[in-house]
Order: sequence, then structure tokens, then C-alpha cells
Amino acid sequence: MGLKMGNFFSSIWTDFYDCFIKYDYYMMYLKGLRNTIIISLLACIIGLLIGIVITCVRIAPKNNVLIRIADTIGRLYVTIIRGTPVVLQLFIGYFVVFVSLKSTSVFAIKDTAGVWVAALVFGINSGAYMSEILRGGIMSVDKGQMEAGRSLGLSWTHTFFRIVLPQALKIAIPTMFNEFITLVKETSVAGYVGIIDLMKIQKYITTQSAKLYMPLIIIAVIYLIVVLFLQFLQKRIEKKLSAGDNK
Amino acid sequence: MSNGTEIIKNKDKDRLIAVKGLYKTFGKLEVLKGVSTEIKKGEKVVILGPSGSGKSTLLRCMNLLETPTYGEIWFEGKLLTPVDPYLHFDIIRLSKTYKKLYEELKARNPVITDEDADKTVIKDIKEHDLLRRSEGAEYKKEIKTLYKKYFQNVNLTRQKIGMVFQHFNLFNNLTVMGNMTLAPVQLKLKTKAEAEEKALTLLKRIGLEDKENVYPSTLSGGQKQRIAIIRSLMMEPDVMLFDEPTSALDPEMVGEVLGLMKELADDGMTMVVVTHEIGFAKEVASRVLFVDDGKIKEENEPKEFFGNPKDPRLKDFLSKVLV
Ligand SMILES: Nc1ncnc2c1ncn2[C@@H]1O[C@H](COP(=O)(O)OP(=O)(O)OP(=O)(O)O)[C@@H](O)[C@H]1O
Ligand SMILES: [Mg+2]
Repeated sequence: MGLKMGNFFSSIWTDFYDCFIKYDYYMMYLKGLRNTIIISLLACIIGLLIGIVITCVRIAPKNNVLIRIADTIGRLYVTIIRGTPVVLQLFIGYFVVFVSLKSTSVFAIKDTAGVWVAALVFGINSGAYMSEILRGGIMSVDKGQMEAGRSLGLSWTHTFFRIVLPQALKIAIPTMFNEFITLVKETSVAGYVGIIDLMKIQKYITTQSAKLYMPLIIIAVIYLIVVLFLQFLQKRIEKKLSAGDNK
Repeated sequence: MSNGTEIIKNKDKDRLIAVKGLYKTFGKLEVLKGVSTEIKKGEKVVILGPSGSGKSTLLRCMNLLETPTYGEIWFEGKLLTPVDPYLHFDIIRLSKTYKKLYEELKARNPVITDEDADKTVIKDIKEHDLLRRSEGAEYKKEIKTLYKKYFQNVNLTRQKIGMVFQHFNLFNNLTVMGNMTLAPVQLKLKTKAEAEEKALTLLKRIGLEDKENVYPSTLSGGQKQRIAIIRSLMMEPDVMLFDEPTSALDPEMVGEVLGLMKELADDGMTMVVVTHEIGFAKEVASRVLFVDDGKIKEENEPKEFFGNPKDPRLKDFLSKVLV
């Protein structure tokens, strides 16, 4: 029995060695992880920026034509992005927009630019969800908070940023992190357009090493670590924002 | 559009708020149907009326938390709303519509006096809402001139109009001290140190100096409302508006809030109070308004108002609340 267990563990170790350490494979995982993180982080920042802009447009008083047009565009954008699969958006962004730009551009565009394209596509995708999350947070802050600020003579902008937004963010933080976490995992389809991310590395090493399960488990652990880090960050931020709660 | 008044010269220092020909609709719902009243310095005006009659809307129009559909709101001789041409006969007379109707009337009825023709046409225009967007250059210029002369940004005005809400509306993300000092400091009316000193004085006055650093969620309703009141006082307002300040409180906390309000009244604060507290109205009010169906149906000093009501709806209302 003991011998068998020993065999089991030593064969796992061998598999791990073959898939992680041999031929410096771990460097490849790192490269994949790097691309996954670049795409996720950029997409997250782009998504947040787009989300904030769309939210501001959508909640601003609709008192001129320009803002109404912007509002319509914003709503259309959210509908289209949420109504189609992200893989499809990636294909369109990569094969339709990027590839045709590349073939017609007078400048040489490097193939590695695919990472930036993916970051942009995921960012645009995430922006739609982020704007809905932010808007939901703002809507759930009691209207009386804005009214109290205005009745003291504070401007809309002032009251919004000092009173409403902090409360909205506190409400929205858990859902926002949920979106970040989903985003990190969703980037795993980037391999479909030839981007070398974690998932793609796993496929490559699986083929090379002929070990079916080990690379899968390795990248599962790596994804998990990234997500756990995000959760840790979320807890820290929530703690900071929890001032004013019923204790 | 009846019930408009000619422009009143707003030099009168005693007149703090003037509501003129106020109409307010929410979509199809007509909530205020022509309200005109004035709040003079030192007055304590109590507004009574059945639920849904438009009391809150009237109060909230006074500091423009609601935008009037028609009519003007004046504060200390400054105009807060756009100019409402229907309230200014001299502006109506400059309109194309007036000129056209006047000529037509004269042609139809050659014997009518100029004065009568003028009256008839103005009445017609007001009643049937006949003014259009383009009424000629003269008309436009006169409106612009008035607006330029009297208009004042509402944020500036609101600093001088305190407001107390039914649900307190303390800023949940700030401490009691933060609640009290935010506006005066941000609006550069006081330095942080001055504001904090004043806040402490006020907190001591209501016996809550130990609550300086707590968040609103830890306070009782009565404490919240009293802090909301002194938060308004931080701005040193010329008038305070109260919208059912005790309606959301447990019965045992109503007294402490009414007590503070009475103190303010005794100190000479000008107050407009929407409330169901008849006792408060009888004791403190210098004038009581009865709002029903979007109009002021009766107004009087409290003795007459409660002792000798004339409007049948008011009689009915009082028979229900004075049991
Ligand atoms: N923002 C709004 N949008 C639509 N309808 C509104 C709005 N505010 C008020 N109303 C409606 O206008 C009417 C008058 O409301 P208001 O709050 O002024 O009444 P009130 O006299 O203060 O009543 P209560 O004693 O219940 O507070 C009500 O029918 C109310 O539903
Ligand atoms: Mg009300």
C-alpha cells in the first residue's frame, strides 16, 4: 500500500517535472501568464474608463441634444455588447478590423500587437458590463442624499463626487470585482486568434509532453492564484470603504 | 393661466420668499394649480393639507428642488426661475399675439375703450395660454432684460435657505462633524477650524457633543433629525423649510425635534413648516395655510384658522384631525 502511494506521488512528480521544469517550460507559463495579465489589466482599465463615461452620460440631466445622442449611443453600445458572445467580438476585432488594418496599413504592424487588440476588445466588452454595474450602484443611493447636498448650496458635481459616488462605489465594489474576475477567466479564449496566453501555452505543452492532465492542472492553479489575489484586493478595499456601516 | 399677479417691486426687505402664479405638473398629473404667497422675515408659516395635496411640492419649489412648470419664485429680491411672461402685463403687451388680438378686437368692436380692449385681450391670452415661442424682438428683449437684472444662480440662493427632510438625509458616508462642515468649508464660507468650532457649539446646544465622530447609522431618529437641523444652521440661513420633520420618528422622539424647532422660532428664525402636528401649528405659527387640490384654499392666523374655518374642505379636514 505504502509503496503504491509512493509510486503514485513519484509519478505525479515526474509528470510535473516533465510539464513544468524540463526544457524551462515554466518560462513559457510565465510568458502566457504575462499576456493574460496584460490583457486582463488593460481591459479592466479600459472597461472602467468606458464604464464611467457611459454612466455619466446616462445619469446626467438630459437637457441638450448632444447628451441625448450620446445617451442613445451608450444604450446601443451596452445592448450590442451584452447581446453577443465575447468570442465573436474578439473574432470581429481581430480578423475583421485588425487584420484588414494590418494589410492596408503603410506601417508595419507586428504580430504581437494581437495582445493589444485583445486587450482593447475585452476592455470594450467589459465597459458595457461595468457601466451597468456603476449605474446600478448610483441608482441605489437614496435620492435624498443628492437633495440634501443641493439644498445646502453644493453643486450637482460636488455632491455627486463627495456624497453619491463614494456610497455607490461601496455598493458596487463586490459586483465590480466579480466582473474583473470573470474578465480574467474570459481572456482564456484569446488563443482562438493566436494570442499566446496561459490557455494557449497549456495546449502547446500538452502536445509536446503528451501529458494530458498536468498542464491543465498547472494553469488551473495559476488562474486560481490570480483570482485569489483579486479577492484579497477586494476585501482590502471593502474594509477601507466600510466606514459608516452599522457596527 | 389665471391667478398671475403683476410684477411686484422686490425691493421690500421684509419679503424673503415670493411665490407667484406657481403651477407644477408631473407628466399629466397637475399637482400645483396656481399658488401665490409670500413669506416675510420672521414669519412662522405652517402648511396643512390632506395627503397628496401638493404641500411637499410647494415647499420643494421654494428652493427649486422641484422645477416649477409655470410661475416665478423670488428670494430676497432675486429671481430663481426663468421669467414667466404671463405674470408681466407689460411683457404680454409687447407680444405679437397681443398686438394681433388687440387689432382684431378693435376692428370687431370699434366702440370698445382702449382700456377694456387691453383687459380683455390680456385675460384671453392668460386664460388660453396663447403666448408662443416667437413673439417678436421687443418681447424677447424685455424678458432678457428682466432676467439679466434679477436672476441669481440657485446654488447661491440655497445657501440661505435651510431645508429639513422627513427622512433626515444625513450624508451616510460622513461623520456627524463631516456632515456639518462639508458645505460651509467647500463653499469657502468658513475655514475648517471655524466650521468645526461652530459645529461643536451647535452640538453642545442640542446635547450631542459626544456624537461628533460617529456615523449617522449609529444615531436614533430624533438625534438624526436634530443634527440635520443644526447642519442647516451651519450655513446661517435666512429661512428654514421643514417637510414633515417628525413624520418618520417614533412617537417618543417627536418632542425633542419639535422642541428644537420651537427654540429656533423663539430665536426669530423665519420658518415654513409642512406638518401634521396641529399642536405645533397652534402654538408656533404666525400664519397657517391650507393646501388642497393644488391650491391654497385658506390662510389665516392660527386662532381664526382653527376657530373659525370658512372653506368647507378645511372644515372637513379639521374635523378629522382635531379629534
Ligand atoms: N417626482 C414626482 N413624480 C411624479 N409625481 C409626483 C412626484 N412628486 C410628487 N408627485 C405626486 O404629486 C402629488 C402631490 O405630492 P406631494 O408630495 O406634494 O403631496 P403632499 O401634500 O406632500 O402629500 P403627503 O402629505 O403625503 O406628503 C402626489 O400625487 C404625488 O404622488
Ligand atoms: Mg409631503
